Amino acid sequence: MNTHIRNGINAGITFGIVMIFLFLIGFTSTAAELISDLIKLKGETVILGLTAPMFNLIIFLTIIGTWAGAYGSRKVRDEPDTWKLSLLAATLAGLVNGVLIAILAYIVGDMTVAGLKLYKYLTAVLPGVVNLFLLDQTPLGGAIFHLIFFSVTGLMGGVLGRGVGRGDWRKRFSIWWNEVWSKFNRKSAVQRVRTNPITRYVLYGLLLLIVFLLPLRIGQYWNYTLGTVGIYVLLGLGLNIVVGLAGLLDLGYVAFFAIGAYSVALLTAPEPHHLLWSFWVALPIGIALAALAGILLGIPVLRMRGDYLAIVTLGFGEIIRILSKSDLLTPFSGGPKGVINIAGPTLFGKPFSSDIDFVYLILLAVFLVIFVTLRLQNSRVGRAWEAMREDETVAQAMGINTLKHKLMAFAIGAAFAGLGGVLFASRNQFTGPEDHNLMVSINVLSVVIVGGMGSIPGVIAGAFALKGLPEVLRQLENYRVLAFGALLVVMMIVRPEGLIPTSRRRLETRTDAKVSRPERQEDDVGSDSQ
Amino acid sequence: MPEKTSSKRIRMPVSTYRIIRAILGVLFGGYLLWRLYKVFIGSPIYGPETWIRFALAGVILGSVYALIAIGYTLVYGILFMINFAHGDIMMLGAFGGYFIFEAFKSIPSPTPANPDLTFLNAHPVLSVVLAFVIGMIIAAVSGYFLEKIAYRPLRGAPRLVPLISAIGASIFLENAGQLLFGAQRRDYANPAILTRGSGWTIPVGDSNVILTYTGVVTFVLSVLIMLTLFILVQRTRLGRAMRAVAENKSVAALMGINVDRVISLTFIISGAMAGAAGVMWGIHLGLVYYFVGFVPGIKAFTAAVLGGIGNIPGAMLGGMFLGIVEAVGPPILGIDFQLKDVIAFGILVLILIFRPSGILGEVLSEEKV
Repeated sequence: MNTHIRNGINAGITFGIVMIFLFLIGFTSTAAELISDLIKLKGETVILGLTAPMFNLIIFLTIIGTWAGAYGSRKVRDEPDTWKLSLLAATLAGLVNGVLIAILAYIVGDMTVAGLKLYKYLTAVLPGVVNLFLLDQTPLGGAIFHLIFFSVTGLMGGVLGRGVGRGDWRKRFSIWWNEVWSKFNRKSAVQRVRTNPITRYVLYGLLLLIVFLLPLRIGQYWNYTLGTVGIYVLLGLGLNIVVGLAGLLDLGYVAFFAIGAYSVALLTAPEPHHLLWSFWVALPIGIALAALAGILLGIPVLRMRGDYLAIVTLGFGEIIRILSKSDLLTPFSGGPKGVINIAGPTLFGKPFSSDIDFVYLILLAVFLVIFVTLRLQNSRVGRAWEAMREDETVAQAMGINTLKHKLMAFAIGAAFAGLGGVLFASRNQFTGPEDHNLMVSINVLSVVIVGGMGSIPGVIAGAFALKGLPEVLRQLENYRVLAFGALLVVMMIVRPEGLIPTSRRRLETRTDAKVSRPERQEDDVGSDSQ
Repeated sequence: MPEKTSSKRIRMPVSTYRIIRAILGVLFGGYLLWRLYKVFIGSPIYGPETWIRFALAGVILGSVYALIAIGYTLVYGILFMINFAHGDIMMLGAFGGYFIFEAFKSIPSPTPANPDLTFLNAHPVLSVVLAFVIGMIIAAVSGYFLEKIAYRPLRGAPRLVPLISAIGASIFLENAGQLLFGAQRRDYANPAILTRGSGWTIPVGDSNVILTYTGVVTFVLSVLIMLTLFILVQRTRLGRAMRAVAENKSVAALMGINVDRVISLTFIISGAMAGAAGVMWGIHLGLVYYFVGFVPGIKAFTAAVLGGIGNIPGAMLGGMFLGIVEAVGPPILGIDFQLKDVIAFGILVLILIFRPSGILGEVLSEEKV
C-alpha cells in the first residue's frame, strides 16, 4: 500500500518536473508541430472545438499523462497487485503531475498576462507558446484544465497499464522478439542461406547494389545528408578502433579530423598559399599527417589511463582549434574565416561537382575502411587490442607490447579521421575552425557509444540514428544535442553495450546474467540485468 | 588500490622514454629561462606596475579556479572519476545569482533623495549575499541530482562507463542552459557599489594599479569558503567520514558510515562551491552564458591535477598557480593573449608527462594515472 502510494507520488513529481522542463525549453510547442506533421493535421481544421495546434498539443499531453499514470501504478514486488491499489497510485501520479503543471501554467500565464517579458530571460517562453499551453484560456482556467486533464489521463494510464503486462512490457517484448528471431534463424531455408557461401555473397552483392543505386533515386538534399552520415560512419569507425577496440577514450578526436581537413584545404585552395595541388595528392598527405599527429600525441599521453587520457586529448583538440583561429597562424591557416574554394577531386578529367559524386566517393571510402577494420579486428593486432581493453595488466603479462599497440590504434584511428576530414572539407569546399569544435568529437563518441563499442554494424546504425534521423525530424533540430547528452547517460545506465553489440560482448553479458542470476531464463541482452 | 598497480611498469624501454622526457624538459626549461631573462633583464617591455596588474588578475582568477578545482578533487578522491559536468554546475550557479540580481534590479525601492533607487542598490550587501546563497543552493541541488541520476546507478561499473555518463550529463546541462536561457551572453547586473573596474587605486612607481572591489570580494570570499571546507574536512565527523570513504568504501561501510549519504553530501558540497565560483565569475568578469562553465571547468581540472588530484590543499595551490601563470604566462613566453587557453592545456599535458602525481600529490601516486 505504502509503496504504491510512494511510487505514484514519485512518478507524479518526476513527470511533473520533466514536463516543466520540457515546457521551459519550448518543447511542448515543438512536439505539437511534430505530431501535426505525423498525423497531417494542420492549418484551420477545428476538431472538438479545438484548433489543430491545440489538438496536437493535447495528443502530446495525453501521451505524457498516460505514461505517468502507467509508470506510477507499476507492479510492486512482494505486494498484492489489486485494481484498487494500482488505480490509487495512478490517480495520485496524475494528480501530483497535474498540480505541478497547473502551478507552472498559472504562474507563467499570469506573468504573461501581466505583460512581463518572460522570454527576455527564458528564451523559449514566448507569448504564443504560453497561449497554446493554456489552450487560449485565462491562466486560472488553463491551470484547472491541466489539473483535471492530468488526473484523468493518469487514471487512464493506470487502467491501460494493467492491460499491457504491468510494467514488464519491455521484458516481454524482448522475449517475444528473441523467440521470433531464433525461430526465423532455425528455419532450414534460412540456415542454408546463412551457411552457404554463395547465397551469402549474393545477398551481400544485392545489398551493395542497393546501396550504390540509392543515391541515384533520392534528391540532392538526401544525398547531402547521406554524405554526412557516411563521413560520420568513417569517423565513427576510426574512433571505434580507439575507444571500442583498444579502450582508449579519446575526446580530442576532432583534432585529426581537422588536420585532414586543413591539409586538403591548404594544399589545394588558392588562398592562403596558392599551392593548387591535386586532390589525389592531398588525400594521402592528409591521411598521413593525421596518422603522424596520432603517433606524436600518443607517445606522451598513452601512459595515462582512462580519464586522464580523455582530458588530455580534449585539451589537445581545443589547442588545435584555438591555434587554427589565432592571429599567430592566420597567415598559415586562414584564421577564423577559414579556407574557401577547396578543390574537389577530378577523375579522368571529370570533376566531382554534385553531391552524388561525393556520395559515391564517401561510400567507397566507407567500404574501404570497413574492410580494413574487419581485417584488423580479426588479426593478431585486433586481438591484442581487445585483450588490452579488457585488462591491460593481463595483456601485458601475455607478452603484448601495449604501448606499441596503443600507438597503432591511435594512428589508425587518426588516419580514418584524416580521411573523413579530407572528404568533408573537399565536399563542402570550405573548412574553418568552427567545423572542428568539441561537438564533433562528442557527436562521434555518441555514434560509437550508441551503436555499440567495437561493433561495425553498430557504428553504421549509430551514425544513421544520430545524424540521419534528426534530418528526418527537422523540428527536433534544436533539441538534438540535448538528446545526445541524455542518450549517453541513459545508454550507460540501461544498455552500456550499445544498440548492436558485438557478438563477444553479447555473450559476455549473457553468461553474466546466467551465472549471477540463475533464475532468469530469458535471453534479453542484459538490457535490464541490473 | 592494490588491484590497479600495473602502470608502474614502463611501457617503452626505460631509457628511450627518459631520454625523450629529458630532452623535452631541457628544451622547454631553456626556452623559459631565456624568455625570463629577455623579458625582465634583457629588454623589458612592461614596467613593474603592469606585472603587478597581471599578477593581481591572476590571483583573483586563480582563487575562482581553486574553488572549482576543489570540487573536482573531492569527487575524484571519493569516486575516482572526473565529474565532467562540474563546470556546468558552476554555470547553473552563475545563472542563479544572475536571476537574483535581475529580480532585485526590477524591484523599485524609492527614497526621497533618490526616486529611482532599486532594491539592488538600496540593499547591496543583502543582494550579494542572497545571490551567493541562491547560486550555491541551485548548484548544490543540481550536484545532488546529477550524482543521483547519472552516477549512482553506475557505481562499480568499468571506469569508462561513468566517465561517458559524465560527459553526457555535461552536454545535457550545457544544452539545457542554452535552450532555457538562450545563447546570448548576458551582463551581470552588479549593485552600484560593486561596479566592475572600480576600486582602490594603489600607486606603484609613476603609475597606478587598481585593486577592484569585485576582485577583493571574490578573493576574500573564496579564501573564506576554502578555509571553511578545510575545517569541515579535517575537523568534523562528516569530514572524517568523507576521508574514510575516500580511503576505502567497503571498510568505511563496515565502520557504520552511510557511504551513499557521504557521496551525496560530497556532491552537494562540491556543487555549492562551484555555485559560489559561478556567482564570483559573474560578479567579477561580468558575462554569463550557457557555455561559461566549460573552459573554467577544464582549467580547474588542470589545476586539480597540477596540485595532485585528490588533495585539497593541492587543488587550492594549483588553482592559484594556474591563474597566475595564465595572466603572466603569455607576456613571459612572448605569445598572444588569445592563446592563454593553450597555455593552460599545455601545462596539463606537461604535468601529466613530467609529474603525473602533481605538486603535492604524494597521496595518490602514479598508479592511479
